[in-house]
This record gives sequence, structure tokens and C-alpha cells, in this order.
Amino acid sequence: MPKFIVYFAQLHEDFRLAELNALSKLENVRVEYDPCNYILESPFLVVEISSAEQAAKLVRRAILIRSIIEYWGSGRTYTDVHNEVKQEQERWALYKTCSFKFTVDAFGKSLTQEEKIRVINGFSFLGFEGPIRMRGAEAEFFVCEEHDETREERVWFGRIVGTGSRDLIDRFDVKKRKYLGNTTMDAELSLLMANQAQAQNGMLVYDPFVGTGSFLLTCAHFGACTVGSDIDGRQIRGTAGFKRGVDGIRANLAQYNVESRVIDTAVFDASRNPWRPGPLFDAIVTDPPYGVRAGAKRQGRVGGTKGELSLRLVDGVASYTRPDYYPPTEPYEMSDVIRDLLALAAEKLVVGGRLVYWLPTVAGEYTAQDVPEHPVLRLVANSEQPFGSWSRRLITMEKIKALDLHEPIVPERDPAHKNFRDRYFSKFEPVEL
Amino acid sequence: MRLITHNMLKCHVKNCDNPDKQFPLRFKGAELEQVEAERNDEFLVRMIPRLDWRALLVTTKELGIELPENIPEEPENDDAFLQALHAAILETHVKEGSMVCNGCSHEYKITKGIPNMLLAEHEI
Repeated sequence: MPKFIVYFAQLHEDFRLAELNALSKLENVRVEYDPCNYILESPFLVVEISSAEQAAKLVRRAILIRSIIEYWGSGRTYTDVHNEVKQEQERWALYKTCSFKFTVDAFGKSLTQEEKIRVINGFSFLGFEGPIRMRGAEAEFFVCEEHDETREERVWFGRIVGTGSRDLIDRFDVKKRKYLGNTTMDAELSLLMANQAQAQNGMLVYDPFVGTGSFLLTCAHFGACTVGSDIDGRQIRGTAGFKRGVDGIRANLAQYNVESRVIDTAVFDASRNPWRPGPLFDAIVTDPPYGVRAGAKRQGRVGGTKGELSLRLVDGVASYTRPDYYPPTEPYEMSDVIRDLLALAAEKLVVGGRLVYWLPTVAGEYTAQDVPEHPVLRLVANSEQPFGSWSRRLITMEKIKALDLHEPIVPERDPAHKNFRDRYFSKFEPVEL
Repeated sequence: MRLITHNMLKCHVKNCDNPDKQFPLRFKGAELEQVEAERNDEFLVRMIPRLDWRALLVTTKELGIELPENIPEEPENDDAFLQALHAAILETHVKEGSMVCNGCSHEYKITKGIPNMLLAEHEI
């Protein structure tokens, strides 16, 4: 198959291949590459795809891919590149008369204008006679030098055939939203999660810890219909915290043109949810509370519920019927949150549906066994965003078969994210056994 | 709250587990609003098997909303059916009111279109 160069963004490096694989499946475009050629420190990866049209389709929704380039040549020096390009002269004829443009870039170095012009002139052997257009050129050629102290220099050359959707990052920038809160996930990652979930037209996506609704927006942007719930109604309604008085999650819907697809939000405890039995959702996309900024809680009372308190008469009526009644909550420990989330996904996802969620981990203690398992959920991707003493990992799981009987997850050891909140505030000092 | 969501919610009070009584929840004092929305046929057709049609008929009758009794053989080709379904489940919003369980009588309040499904302490 013809070769292409994937030009990645150089950030969230651990997430890039996962997104590429998710898009390959979503867009139904076969992409082949040797994983040994993938270098975290490099923005370039050579892949094989059946055609330029398929290549463009593959990356059109990508958040971590800048563009995809039809491979014409690469090498240590410009001479090497020119020589490789000269081996396929028939190809140049296709671009002899059309309008064209050259983009010269460098990774790990800056090039002066004079240097860039020299580079372009070095390709004059191509013999293009068409007009040069800075905007709207029919053929856009890309040259990039790659410099890195740990590796040999490389020069890349080809024709840009498709671009990703990094422009969405600015459009979904949280600073531009009418409504946000202190747990609102940044735009880049919210959009990435929508790709991991393969959010698309026809799907129903659920967020059980919806907060201020970022994932409802990004999944709806890509065509899915979305619903969300949270134990804290104030975050949904926007009646506490910042940006009060704009009507909460609803305020963002018109701004992003998703009013028809963000279906509903509701207030309830994810671990005691009122969904009717059986599969309902094509994907569950969420950022569960780790107990650091947003205290994870569930319905209940420390020490056990006291039913008599809600039934007690106050001014002649049962306490729980009064408008100011707020049921008690108890802390919801991190490993229980995740275990319940997997059980929820196992029951409520359709077969083939995906669970995409963030798992906090302790650097230095994390092992692969910390990622919870479930008999009907298969691990698809696990990408780390490091913060020094801790990390969070974006986990993608796919439901591979129907849930017959509920098999409880029995961890062999306490995962490092157990009691995450306490560990965070004691700076991850080793736990005494 | 749209009727599609209502069609997926049941009562979850402790010990209220008669499936015929806990679902669908009965509306009380419902204030409705019809809000036009972009029709999405792929979504509608995909959701049909996931809806509880019997319950949807009960609820739409309660609220005085039109809905065909039967799902056609090929809903994707039945424009009138899809339009009626779309209007019922995606364009009908319950803004205020409550949902009552026919089993235990718990009332779930709806405020500004958002239902409160939290349980009282004795119901957990």
C-alpha cells in the first residue's frame, strides 16, 4: 500500500497511537505501521494506507494529528531526499501545471527565511510551472527537518493530503464557554475522549459524573446524542460555584449548536441509578471524581443510614418531603467508584459499546494490574498523562459480549488508586503495611 | 426532560421492585413544552429497539400526545412514523412537575426540565 507520513502534534504523546487506532476503526480505514517505528519524541510516523482519500478520511477528526502527508522522500540530508524523489518522476507530472505551495518547517530548530527559500529552490528539479498560491493551492508540498540530540537528523518531504481537527481545540476552549466549573476538562482532552469513544451520529452516549457537561458537548459535536447525570444538581444547573446565573449546562448548548443532541441531564447517584435494566448506551464517557478537587460522594451516611431521620416529622410533615431536604452523602472511595463504573458499563452498554474514563494512578506504584478488569469488557487503550507524583490514565474498554451473570471484580491486591484522595493529600508517601 | 429519557427511568427506592409498578413513572402536574429539534433518523431508528414501546404508549396517552400503536415493519422508510416518534420523544419536554411511582408513591420532582432522582435516607 502507498506510504504516508502522519504528522502528529508533539504533546499528549502517549495518547497519539490510541487515537489513531480509534479513528481507524471509526472511519473504517485500514492503516498499517510498524510499532517499532513509533517514537514518542518524534512527530512523524510512516504508515501505509490504501489511498490519499482514505488517508484524509482517517485523520479528519483527529485532535492529536496535524496532517497526513503522501510520502515522497525522507533521509538524513536534502540530497538523500532529492534522490529518493527523483526515483518516481512519473508522479511529478501530475502537478506540473496546477497551483501549488511549499511549506517548509523544522522540528527542534528554527529556520530563517533565507534557509527556507534555499530549501524550496533545492526542489526546483520538480519542474512545477503552475502558479504559486499561498491560499487555496491545489497541491501543497511539505518539507520538514527533524532535529533531536538523541537521534540522527531527518528530513521529510511529501504532499499534504489531509488535515486533522486541531482547530476544534480553540472552538471548544473552556475560557470561551458560557458555563464552566473548576472540574471542567480542557478542550483537547474532551475532544480526544469523544474520538476514543467513537462518538458518531446515531449513538446515545452517557456521562454518569457529568459535572459541567464537557463530554456531552464534544460527543454531541461529532453527532452523538448525549445524556448525563450527577449526584450534585448544582453543577448541572449552575446554581453554585462560578458562573452562576447562566443556567448551567444548558447555557453552552446554543454556543456549540448541539441543542438537538444534548438530550437531558438528571440528578442522581451513579452507584444507585434509576435506569431500567438492560443495555441502553452506545458509549459511556466520563471523568469520575478522584476526591481531590471534587469530593467523591454517594448517597448514604457515615456509620450507616438512619431512615428515621428522613421520616421524622418537622412542622407536621415528614422531613424528606420538605423542599429544603437534602439527603445525606458519604465518601465514595476511589476503587469503589471505578469498580461500580465498570459494573455499570458492563450492564448498560450495548455489545460493541465503549467505556472511556480517567483512572488516577500513583507514579512509581502503578502496575498494569491496577487497571480494573471485567469479564465482558476488553481493554482497548491506556494512555498516561503524568503530573509528577501522580498520573491519570485514559482507559478505553469495549464490551465484547452480553452480561450473563454479574461476576464481581476481585482485585488481587489493593490498586495504587485505592484511597486516592488521602494519598494525594499526604503527598503519596508510601503506605505502611 | 424529554420523553426518551423518561422511557429509560424507573423507581429505585429500596424494596420497590415490582417491575410492573416501578416503570413507567406516572407524571403528576406535568408542564409540557414542545421545542422543535433537528430530526435525526439514524438515531431514531437505532433507538427503536431500545425503547420500551408499551411504556411509551402508556405515557403518551397520559399526556395526550399522538403516537402510533405499532412500530412499522420498516420504520426507516416510514416518514410519518418517524416524524410522530421524533415529536413525541425528542420534542416534548416536561419542564416542571413530578414523576410518581405506582408502586411506592415516591415523587421525583422535575425542576427546569431536570429530574431529581435522589432518594431520601430511608429509601436507600
